Amino acid sequence: MGLLTKDFERAPCTVEISHKFESLHAHVRFNNGAVIYPGDEVKVHGEEIMAPFGEIVIEDREATIIRASKLEQLWTRLTGDFEVMELCEFSFSEEVTL
Amino acid sequence: MNAPLKHTSDITDAEESLAQQEAQSVLDSKSATEVAMQNTLLTPRFYTTDFDEMDAIDVTPVREDWDKLIAQMVSDPNKGHFKKNEDWDHVDWENMEPGLKKEFIDFLISSCTAEFSGCVLYKEMKRRGNNKDITQLFQLMARDEARHAGFINDALREAGVAVNLGFLTQKKKYTYFRPKFIYYATYLSEKIGYARYITIFRHLQEHPEHRFHPIFKWFEEWCNDEFSHGEAFALLMKTDPKLTSGFNVYWIKFFLTAVYSTMYVRDHQRPAFHAALGVDPDWYAHEVFTKTSKLSEQIFPITLDIDHPRWQSGLERMQKANADLAKATEEGRFLAKIGAQVRAVSAFVSLITIPARKHKVPASTRLEPAY
Repeated sequence: MGLLTKDFERAPCTVEISHKFESLHAHVRFNNGAVIYPGDEVKVHGEEIMAPFGEIVIEDREATIIRASKLEQLWTRLTGDFEVMELCEFSFSEEVTL
Repeated sequence: MNAPLKHTSDITDAEESLAQQEAQSVLDSKSATEVAMQNTLLTPRFYTTDFDEMDAIDVTPVREDWDKLIAQMVSDPNKGHFKKNEDWDHVDWENMEPGLKKEFIDFLISSCTAEFSGCVLYKEMKRRGNNKDITQLFQLMARDEARHAGFINDALREAGVAVNLGFLTQKKKYTYFRPKFIYYATYLSEKIGYARYITIFRHLQEHPEHRFHPIFKWFEEWCNDEFSHGEAFALLMKTDPKLTSGFNVYWIKFFLTAVYSTMYVRDHQRPAFHAALGVDPDWYAHEVFTKTSKLSEQIFPITLDIDHPRWQSGLERMQKANADLAKATEEGRFLAKIGAQVRAVSAFVSLITIPARKHKVPASTRLEPAY
């Protein structure tokens, strides 16, 4: 990882999307143990995965991890905290009028 | 004739479950072509944190309370609760007043996204952590959030809104939060969520004529999940006294002020929703703040002085500035925008500088839902 340069990495991954009544969830797991650091970007390749209602879809895919540069990682660590309010739920969107 | 369909959450046999899901999906594609479904892409955010720091948490000082709480969550008292039964009355979406319908769908989508993002965050912590106590907790919380999201999703489908989980194949960036900020924000979010849901539930028990949708009947058990999650974060903070003392008390005050004022502003932007429930948003805000403050005394050494003369006026100024800001942005009036931003910041400063109320934090943290 360079100070200013980004690295690209390919990683096999498993995508799980559940569109069931009792559980609505979606996760990506990297199968080669790749770890995501602050500021990294992840792109899962291929068609959009759509799970019909009532089903779980599990697919093996390829992902590209775009590694943040050293500087970008530092910046994300320093400034990420400003967005922490996103973790709070307020029942409504921030739109002033709908 | 066929035996009544079991719900998938009650089925223990995989074959039976598969057969039923297949039957449901046929039904689904048929109904999907009948109604033109409005498509909503869920866009949760993705986070990383300092996982080594989280692994280093040692729950030994609160072991007894911790084990009891985890055992209660493992026993899963709400299993099977989040499904429609005969209490789910018919919803007349067609004839719902358009203003109310818009605000109510915004409520459902925002709540679904929030539950969903919670699930993604908790699952990520579960996966990256190595501390068994912590990973077990996050796994249990992710289970609850996914269940809530599924339940809201079902209510949305009835309204003709289909959520799209296709976001995973879009490029997404991971931001970073310090663990302690995650504790403060999620603890407060879970406890204020409990206070919000239970206040509406108790109000509708007294005024059932205002219950314009059956989902509110599920709020009581629902908020008990939020309550337990909040308890878990309170115990996590209890393991390290530094988190709730010294300079961190200022952070706590910041989070309390930010969460309360954001809630106030957002609620006041949805007048039709509150009018339909027969709830005055000012009364509601005060009720929710009072309950949340009482609960948060379990771990935070301060509460906000919500009866201070500057409190209500600060909230009102903040709400007004926010509305003006949106209007100025829409109309592209640059100076008006700056003016509104300055007023919003000054209102926030006025709120956060109200002296906080101090109290002695109880030795034992655990609470039970009592409202």
